[in-house]
Formats: sequence, C-alpha cells, structure tokens
Amino acid sequence: MKDFLLGLAFIVAGAIVYVVAQGFPTMSSLQYGPSLFPSLIGGGFMLGGLVLAIGHIGALKGVAHGITWRMDREQLRNMLLSLLPALAIVFYILASDWLGALLCLAAIMFVLMLARRTPLWIALGVSIVAALVIDLAFSRYLLIPLPEGLLGVWG
Amino acid sequence: MDAFLQGLALVFNFQTLLVIAAAAIFGVFVGAVPGLTATMAVALLVPITFYMDPTPAIAAIVTTSAMAIFAGDIPGTYLNIPGTPASAAYVGEAHQLARQGRARETLGTNLVCSMFGGLFGTLVLVFVSPSLAEVALQFSSYEYFWLALLGLSCSIFISIGPKTKAFLSLMVGLLLSTVGLDMMSGAPRFTFGIPDLMAGVNFIPVMIGMFALNELMSFYGSRNEGRNVPAVHKDKVFSSVPQHLGRYWRNLLRGSSIGTLIGALPGAGADIAAWISYAMGKSRSKNRDAYGTGHIEGIVDASSANNSGLSGAWVPALVFGIPGDSITAIVIGVLYMKGMNPGPTIFMDGGGLIYALFIVFFIANLIMLPIGYIAIRSAKVFILTPRKILMPIILCFCIVGAFAINNTITDVWIMLITGSVAFILARNDFPMAPAILGLVLGGTLENNFMSSMLKSNGDLLSFFSRPISAGLGAMVILIWLLPVLVRLYRRYRGTQSPRTP
Repeated sequence: MKDFLLGLAFIVAGAIVYVVAQGFPTMSSLQYGPSLFPSLIGGGFMLGGLVLAIGHIGALKGVAHGITWRMDREQLRNMLLSLLPALAIVFYILASDWLGALLCLAAIMFVLMLARRTPLWIALGVSIVAALVIDLAFSRYLLIPLPEGLLGVWG
Repeated sequence: MDAFLQGLALVFNFQTLLVIAAAAIFGVFVGAVPGLTATMAVALLVPITFYMDPTPAIAAIVTTSAMAIFAGDIPGTYLNIPGTPASAAYVGEAHQLARQGRARETLGTNLVCSMFGGLFGTLVLVFVSPSLAEVALQFSSYEYFWLALLGLSCSIFISIGPKTKAFLSLMVGLLLSTVGLDMMSGAPRFTFGIPDLMAGVNFIPVMIGMFALNELMSFYGSRNEGRNVPAVHKDKVFSSVPQHLGRYWRNLLRGSSIGTLIGALPGAGADIAAWISYAMGKSRSKNRDAYGTGHIEGIVDASSANNSGLSGAWVPALVFGIPGDSITAIVIGVLYMKGMNPGPTIFMDGGGLIYALFIVFFIANLIMLPIGYIAIRSAKVFILTPRKILMPIILCFCIVGAFAINNTITDVWIMLITGSVAFILARNDFPMAPAILGLVLGGTLENNFMSSMLKSNGDLLSFFSRPISAGLGAMVILIWLLPVLVRLYRRYRGTQSPRTP
C-alpha cells in the first residue's frame, strides 16, 4: 500500500515539476531552454511513479476487501518520536539568532537525552560540556561565525 | 627525476608530516562518529586548507578521508551503525562478529584490508592516470556528457533493491541539481526567491540530511538502545589476520580491483564499491550460507574495496576533473584553489606537486596501520557510551556541520528537508546513493549537453560523431539494454535446456 501511495506521490510531484518548468523563460536563439532538464526530470518522476504504483496495484484489492491500514499506539508514539531530531533542527533554525548556537545546542541535546530517559544530571552535564566543545571547535578553531545570541549581548 | 625529488621534498618535511599525523587522528574521530561521514570530514577540513600550502592541504584531505573510511567500521562493528556510508555494506556482518566477542579481530582484519586496498588503488592511480590523461585530452563536451550519463546509469544498475526505486532516487538528486541559475540563460530555477539558492544546492548538507539525519530519525523512532557486544575483549587485533588473509587472498585482490574500478567510475564511490564487492564475494563464495551470520570473507572483500575505491575516485578527478565520488568533488574545488587545475594537463604542469600527491597517498595508507591500531584499542568508548547520549551530540555536529559549509542557515533547512524526505524514502527501501550521485553529476550532465547542442546546432547525432563519444554512448546504451538482454538470454537458455537429455 505504501509503495502504491509513494508511486502516486511521485506522479503528482512530477506533474508539478513539469508545470513549473514550463514557466522558465527560453531565449529565442536557443533551441533548448532552461526548462528542458526539469521537464525531463518531471517526466521521469511521473514515469517511475507510474511503474511503482502499477507494480503495487494489488494493494488496492486489500482496501477493496475491507483491509485498512491502522497505526497502533506504539507505532504512533514511535513515529512522533522519530520527528524529534527534525523538530530540534527547526528549533535551532528559529531560535539560534536570538538564543545563540551554544544555548540552542545545549538545549537540543538536553531535551533529546531526556526523551530517551537519560538521568537528569547526566543529561545536563553532557549537554553543557558537549555544546561548549562544539561551539569552541567550530567558532574559535574553524572560524565559523556561529550566532552568539544572548551570550554575545552579555559579552 | 627532478620532479620526483621535488615531490619527496614537498612531503618529507616537518609541516606536512605533522599535518598527516593530525589529519589521521581527525579522520579517525570523524569516521568513528556515526553520522559524520568521510565527506563531511573533508568538508570540515576545507576552511583549514585555505591557510595551508598545496601539499599539506592535499595530504590532509587524502589522510583524513582514508582514515575516516576505515574508522567508519568501528561504530559499525560495535553499534551496528556505520560510521560512514562506505561501511554500510558489511555492517551487519561485522556486528554479528562483535556479538560473538570478535570485535577486535574483525577490526584488525578491516584495518589491514583497508590499507592493502588503499595501496592497490594508489598504484593504479600512479600508473594508469598519466596514460589516461593522454586519452582525456581528446575529450570534449560530448564525451563528458556520456561520461556523466554513464556514471548515473551505473548508479541505478548496480544499486541494491528495486531498480524503479533507484531510478526515482536518482531523479530526486537530478531535480536538486537543477536548482539555481541556469548556465545558458541565467534564468533562476526552483529558487523560490531565496538568494542563497541562486548558486544551487550544495551537496554536503544534502548528504548530512540523507545519511545522518535519516539515521537519527530512525533511532528515535525505535526503542533499541543496542548494547549487545560483550564489554570484555578476549580476542587480539592482529593475531588472526595472517590466517584470514592467507585463506581469503583472492577476495582481497578481487575487492581491491573492483573497488578501484568502481571508484574510478565518475559518480560511483567507496560505498557503491563496498556494496558491489560484498555482493560479488557472496555470489562466488563456497560458504554463501554463512553470510549474514558473522562471516569474515565478506568483510575482506568489501573493506578492501571501499579504501581502494577512494584512491580510484581520484583517477577521473585528476584526469578529467570529474568527481569520482563526493569527496573528490570537494577535492576538485581545493585543487583549483591551490592552483592545481584538475584535468589532463595536471600531469604536464603539475611538476613536483603531482608526485607529492602520489607519495601522500602511500603515506596516508601506511599511517593507517599504527593510528588505526590505537583507534581499535580505544574503541571501547562505543560500548561504554550509550546511544541515548551519543545521538544528540551527533545531531548537533550535523546542524553545525551543515551551517559551516556556506555559513548560512539555508543549508540547515536543506539538510532538514532532504533528511526528512530521505527518511520516508529509506523506510520504503529507496537507495540513497543514486540521489547523491544525481546531485553531484546533474550539473555536469546538463551543462555538457547544452554546450554540445549549441556547438552542433541542435543535431543529436553529433553525440555519436566522434570515436570516443560514440564508444561511450554505445556503452551507456548497452548498460540500459543489459537487463533486457539478460532476460532474453535466460529465456533462450530456458528453451534450450529441456531438449538436452
């Protein structure tokens, strides 16, 4: 069922890519413009998606016979937990300018460690030390301008 | 001879040797941390190489990548998480051996095979590259187009699993490669008004997303803490190595040859080399059933292949200026920066520098033995550090590593988006390697196609008008037709066999 749905998703994505590509300007002197490769890729998406969907069309029979795909509580919990690293990155993107890289990284590590039931003091200690090491290595040694945020304001 | 002596002097000085030793330790660290790839190690090195002379800069990159590829086996063996994608092929085998209390023995064999593979690939690089360069001088946009298409086609046909999924994965990579300003018209494509995207999508954040973030999301989506390797070691690092190599010397040679060949294919890299060698070793083994239960034979094949692939990847990078893998894609940038323009002329204009590069390869692979031994002895940290502490640290390295490429938060977004897409795709058995190769080679493919069409006034037949171009084109078409030909052959054999008594 998943492969069938993924096949459909690729067909839709391919159609969108193809339509967007038709809007790219083509100079009259060029036979092939900037839309050629994106259009071919859109076509590739649609073709591959179609093959994938057709290959798993048997999954539809299960749906027709009343077999439904359900997620139990354990699966739902695992799926939500798998989003934690992605959410942590979103937090860094939104908060790092204001909080600074050091505090953001420490907060991310602390929360992620607690999510896997690390003892509070260990999580706190490791997060602070690791954040300091990463911040120091990247901003002082590799000269990467990591945002300083609040700590920069306080000097 | 003067150039060779010049090369020796460039390498055997205090600064370069110190850089090699430091790079080896750095490579071990990065390779051994799951999620940090050899490519990332090299990418992180680039800012430092700005301040170095050409020889130490290249030495740092070569040593780091060679060490990181080996060190990727360490977490693979202890945690069942490959430190680098190149270790993924045999991670299950190595971990099974570790569970039997043979972690150090496995890593010792890995280390010697990696060193042998690296030296084998270097010999090929030294002796084959200059002659290839003479052929490469004949190359124009037509040949480069076919070469890029050859690499992309190979990435589908040698991938593990359903080819449709490999094809779709490749399309994802190619789509990412079209982001940015079009080469011919300067029109922005899929940039959504974001200035950072005008220069295109950098492949390093994409790689971090596709491999590291994907792995992290899988970890948090499961409850497995994964400490099932005995904490007490009874085995020794090198004591069983002569016995294994004596028994599997054919595998060692085959793995090194396949690795070098696949590494030299533009677009394929150490990880694909390892997969192919492992698959080849399994198909030709007398103990096929033992594979997957902790069998050293597969490790000999694949671990020699990934390091030889690393050296092999430098062949197209130096000769054609086409990246053999993602590491050499970065290397090409560094070479330009240091005034060593990759391409056929590098062997004529390079002087002592090109010999220095070859010597550096030998030293980088030889230093692997002592530093690797120390790394294996101190690898117990992976058993002792729980993954619930290790993984958040790795995530932070990924965030900062992605940001560090261009010092822009856009790259962190790219890592997040590609990582999330990769997570969905990987859970549904889509291979990731074709997507990376699509991104790396997409620009080469499109730009050379467009240049050729301009030169020939849109005549498609011109792609077959030159001998090398026609040969490469025929090879690509043959690869595409191979599945059909194999099927026809099998059907023919099937109809023939019942007639025989």
